[in-house]
Amino acid sequence: MNLWESFTLALSSIWNHKIRSILTMLGIIIGVSAVIIVVAIGDGARQQMADDLFSTDENAIPLYFEQTTYEENGEMMWVEPPAVTGEQLDAVKEVAGVKYVLGTNSGWGTMNHNEHTADMEIIGVDNQYFIAKDLTLLEGRRLNTRDNDSYSRVAMIDSLTRENMFAPDEEAVGAIIDINDNPYKVVGVYESTLPPEFRHMEEFSNGQMLMPRTLISMMFGSPEIDTINVIAEQPDNLTETGFAAAEKLTELTGSEEGMYVAEDMSAYVEEFDSFYMTITLFISSIAGISLLVGGIGVMNIMLVSVTERTREIGLRKALGATRGQILRQFLIESVTLTSLGGLIGIGFAALVTAVLALVLPFSPIINPVVVIIGILFSSMIGIVFGILPANKASKLSPIDALRYE
Amino acid sequence: MIRLSQLTKTYGSGSLAVPVLRGIDLEIGDGEFVAIMGPSGSGKSTLMNIIGFLDKQTGGTYSLNGEDVKQANEKQLAGLRNKHIGFVFQQFFLLPRLNAQKNVETPLLYAGISKKERTARALGLLNKVGLKDRTGHLPSELSGGQKQRVAIARALVNQPTVILADEPTGALDSKTGAQIMDLLTELNREGKTVIIVTHEEEIAAYTDRIIVLRDGLIVEDRKVTS
Repeated sequence: MNLWESFTLALSSIWNHKIRSILTMLGIIIGVSAVIIVVAIGDGARQQMADDLFSTDENAIPLYFEQTTYEENGEMMWVEPPAVTGEQLDAVKEVAGVKYVLGTNSGWGTMNHNEHTADMEIIGVDNQYFIAKDLTLLEGRRLNTRDNDSYSRVAMIDSLTRENMFAPDEEAVGAIIDINDNPYKVVGVYESTLPPEFRHMEEFSNGQMLMPRTLISMMFGSPEIDTINVIAEQPDNLTETGFAAAEKLTELTGSEEGMYVAEDMSAYVEEFDSFYMTITLFISSIAGISLLVGGIGVMNIMLVSVTERTREIGLRKALGATRGQILRQFLIESVTLTSLGGLIGIGFAALVTAVLALVLPFSPIINPVVVIIGILFSSMIGIVFGILPANKASKLSPIDALRYE
Repeated sequence: MIRLSQLTKTYGSGSLAVPVLRGIDLEIGDGEFVAIMGPSGSGKSTLMNIIGFLDKQTGGTYSLNGEDVKQANEKQLAGLRNKHIGFVFQQFFLLPRLNAQKNVETPLLYAGISKKERTARALGLLNKVGLKDRTGHLPSELSGGQKQRVAIARALVNQPTVILADEPTGALDSKTGAQIMDLLTELNREGKTVIIVTHEEEIAAYTDRIIVLRDGLIVEDRKVTS
């Protein structure tokens, strides 16, 4: 009798006891599906988090100033970040691996146009910003070096502002808009890059605006550059590139009371990972108990099955089945039972994650490694808990077994 | 050729030892048609179990076709049963969830015969025992006589040396029983060695030789004259 014949025999035996088999498999089904679902939710949440952290610029890393001295003459001290100039940033751009260095500032202004009023974030940019951020120009022109050099009172609006504050047939380019009661001229419209979840927030619902950063500095009395983002040529080397750029900038600014550092995004992900690992281990150990109980259930039912089929075993032995063949038949039956439970568990997990994808703000991602481990583990349970009943069956004496009523 | 000499079987040991066979000397040649008779407790079932390799003797020798089988281990005994013995039981012992054809094929499964040949042999034998139209039926859909025919086909399928039938008509009415005995007689005419264990004179009368056991010894071994 080859493996395939043993397997079909096992399947027909399981099929003949449908309800009993399903109940027996339940522990395995729950255990396997629980692990797959939990890991899928975790992977999905992690992916979403990584997307959120890196989405605006997958290969951009912010630099910020961190003071190194906190006390002077026994008193708490606040160190002002040094004024960073465009020339310094151009020098940082020369650091290996750096593609762009974006120096920006920003402010919030109240825009009035066509009797619409909206509070809006205005980002002060230089001429590189548009290219570095890979923005899409829809109408008009970009901001250029001259706009910055001459403090031009110009603005670029995004597609959301265009939609909400302008009439569809109205010419936006060349329009004069009011911001904080001062007139500015719209020179271009670009495709909004606000993530969908931001668009629902009231303060972002009408979009953002770009202006020359020199103009923002003048309007709000803020530094010309208060936010620095480094864009790396290779996203993989983002953190290293960020730190190298931060070191260069610290050197250039010559501050003695503080230094520039790169914000390490991967630290957040690592933190989440360790938190999530704890939850996964917890759920997995519960699932492990479920699998253990399931395995004991399988053993129990297999023992019952051996007793029920005593005469069958006796007959098979009389017809020439060896002990090994009987052992194998029962072992394959229990492995088939638990593997089937594992497969149903995987199917159930796929179903649940598909439903969860509709309900949760992110999509759970089924991890194929966990699926494979699930199948292997459930088969292993079949072997471990099938050995005892199979051994019992194989040891039955054919004479006693045939006489069994 | 079956040869038993000074064959003994004792259950238990020491003061609890129960001797069941106490020195059997017996030769059954190829192609014989033999009935083993005796009251219950005479040891005829034990003798049949030993001849059928379901049990091992305590003492003496058992040789089949000149080969002493005393040293055989459990796995080898299973092989001997599979190759040399075709069992027919009083209670038929068909596997309830397999159809007639699959039941007949079972011994071939353990002999490692290919599916194609299994099918061919099973169908051929079911045809021979007159169940050509019943090959796909489950045992529950067959009458007692038909079940025993399936069992006989199963006993024949591995071309065994000996057909061992333990009260083959015990669960059948006399008319059906007679048909089964006719079938076994026919098989014997074709050259098969057939050994029947029975306590019915009427059944034993079909055979050529009657061996009577009493208290673990052969008390009578006679030719049947018809």
